[in-house]
Amino acid sequence: MNEPPKEPVKYVQSHVYLPYHYVAGDYRARYLRALKDKKILGSKCSRTGKVFVPPLLNSPESFAPATEFVEVADKGVITTFCIVNIPVIGRDLQIPYVAASVALDGAALSIFALILEVQPEAVRMGMRVEAVWKPDGERHGDHEDIMYFRPTGEPDEPMESFIRRL
Amino acid sequence: MSTPATAEPIAPMRQQLVMEFPYKHSTGETIGRFLAGLKEQKKIWGQRVAGQGVVVPPVGYSELDGSGGGEWVEVKDTGVITACAIVHHPVEKLHPCSSPFAFVLVKLDGADTALAHVVKGDLDKVKVGARVAAVWAADEARQGSIRDLECFRVTG
Repeated sequence: MNEPPKEPVKYVQSHVYLPYHYVAGDYRARYLRALKDKKILGSKCSRTGKVFVPPLLNSPESFAPATEFVEVADKGVITTFCIVNIPVIGRDLQIPYVAASVALDGAALSIFALILEVQPEAVRMGMRVEAVWKPDGERHGDHEDIMYFRPTGEPDEPMESFIRRL
Repeated sequence: MSTPATAEPIAPMRQQLVMEFPYKHSTGETIGRFLAGLKEQKKIWGQRVAGQGVVVPPVGYSELDGSGGGEWVEVKDTGVITACAIVHHPVEKLHPCSSPFAFVLVKLDGADTALAHVVKGDLDKVKVGARVAAVWAADEARQGSIRDLECFRVTG
């Protein structure tokens, strides 16, 4: 034998494994702890009064410190959304599902949210939604304390009310 | 509710997270045959390339002028260390061994380039110039990967 085999190996399995520690800072820790009590905290810009959720130390617009915590509502409006038709590894959701940006009442910016309990085709920009929380005793102060958002059935909001809060 | 953000101190929150990417790496014709040689023949193959001698593992072309890889040449599974780095504190799943080992470049007998691999055991003897011999994985464990050569051991 003075040749390697004719039939090559076609693939090798590779595995990238990156363990790391996430350390929540002061503001983010307070925000997460509050979720345990079904409260969503934002921080208020000392110059413009805008409320950022999750709380930021400084306004990304005015750079002024946001030194005051404010509770915002656990309901709001869908500002934009997409229907996900491709399964994501590690995310155990039945497709299609809706991933949306939700501007909570009282917040100047929107957060990322999963929308369930509605047909994906029925989701609209301007639709009113509310958080569905994990039951008492099962919340641990992490993002999964809000399982998802669902429509409230209230009338839609006009685009002018959320166009600047995408 | 409206409270000053820094009213009371708060304990740090910390969470261990893991990012994992399982994927299949396509080997291509040349490396594919090199790996098939490890698995099926327990042989290490290189290619004779103009101006470079015997290249192991073969890359299928000349790094000097880009011309195609030449004749296949079998090399020995013994050789000499040309570079080494000892890993005293391996990271679980990130490194190929869970106990201290050495990353080495081995110039196999009959080869003109060095192969990157690991040495286990006798780490005090790991140094440039030390002779090593391959330890092969068992027949049923070889699956056509560089780990079919389980490791190298220092022989002198």
